[in-house]
Amino acid sequence: MNANDELEAPSPALEVRSLTIRYGDREVLAGAGLTVGPGEVHALLGRNGSGKTSLVRCLLGQQRPADGKVLLFGQDVARRRARLMDRVGVTPEEPNAPAAWSSRSLADFYRPLYPRWRDRFFFDRLAHWGIDLARPFGQLSRGQKSLVQLALALAAEPELLILDDPTLGLDAVARQTVIRELIGELAERPMAVLLTSHDFAGIESLATHVSLLHDGRLQLQEEVETLRSRFRLLRFQLPDGCQAAALLAPLRPLEVRSFGRAIEALVGRWDEEEGRALAARCGERSFAASQPSLENIFIAMTTGEL
Amino acid sequence: MLKIDPTDVVPIWKQIEDGVSSLIAAGALRPGEAVASVRELARLLQINPLTVQKAYRRLIDLGILEVQRGAGTFVATAPPVAAADERSRKLREAADRFVEQARNLRASKDECLSLLSAAWPAEAAQVEEEI
Repeated sequence: MNANDELEAPSPALEVRSLTIRYGDREVLAGAGLTVGPGEVHALLGRNGSGKTSLVRCLLGQQRPADGKVLLFGQDVARRRARLMDRVGVTPEEPNAPAAWSSRSLADFYRPLYPRWRDRFFFDRLAHWGIDLARPFGQLSRGQKSLVQLALALAAEPELLILDDPTLGLDAVARQTVIRELIGELAERPMAVLLTSHDFAGIESLATHVSLLHDGRLQLQEEVETLRSRFRLLRFQLPDGCQAAALLAPLRPLEVRSFGRAIEALVGRWDEEEGRALAARCGERSFAASQPSLENIFIAMTTGEL
Repeated sequence: MLKIDPTDVVPIWKQIEDGVSSLIAAGALRPGEAVASVRELARLLQINPLTVQKAYRRLIDLGILEVQRGAGTFVATAPPVAAADERSRKLREAADRFVEQARNLRASKDECLSLLSAAWPAEAAQVEEEI
């Protein structure tokens, strides 16, 4: 960093500029941009095979993109990977620590690698979760393995945390523990988090931003709050002589289901005024607008190509 | 107790803002009393601290909460009238909802009024008499 940099606003923890990933002829990602700042939790959603893991690998400098750039803390990951990784915590999708190593020896291994390593934090967390420090990693349960990897990542006090499906394969209690741990850590310090997940319910209260990797593009890419305000699940009775498609057109329906005259529609451009007009036409009593879950939105946006 | 519902159409930060205002209006939080810190509330409600921060920022801007450096966040010693307005607005909205539902079910006004008095808990009636 030179003197001029210090005068400017701090760089976001993660910035992706027009990133393109290609495998042969297949374009996994075409010109995507993405920014994650301190305290933000960006949930990267996408179906299996959509390219989430390739994107994560590019973010970590483990894979060269066909085009575009990844900046970590304002610096090109392709050039300064080794140094930048001191400030990044990662948990892999599949726990990958050596099976024969105990948690204590994992801490011994990590300690000299990370300048801000917190021994006390690591041992406190494991004690809190009742994980035996002497037990070889390979003999831990799936949930315990994930928690140990999360504690390893967090003990290094990362400024950017990248979690590849942190709750995959975990039972409800372990999932809740992971989410709690992340919220607790975020409450202490403003680290930036990028996570991929299928656990919509878990991330709904944690994520500040969400994007959807689909058809080679990063779709949505917005604040969870904006997303919540523009999507609605509508239920109403179709008035005589009306077409559901025409009635709903201004609200951008993504999915419309009908059962006789009863209509259920997920709309992507909710507007209070248009909504009131629609309610008036259908009869206030039959009309209901509710908040769809992130999962409903995800399914509506990605189905059609099963 | 402050509760949030992620399935509600109301944004979460707004639910916190409304919840804190209601607690103040109801007297459950008194002027000068400390409120949970951002990190405590984020942990308690299991939501991102940025969301809590946003709600607190607004409550501070509205003069409902105030920050005392080093000591934490408190209910303002002189909370604006908004808190009282908030109370009557909430009551009116609840009444409107009840009436709408009652009319849909073709209930009479007398029926509704007697339902309301029947639903009123006994200890609340006592408090009323003391006042």
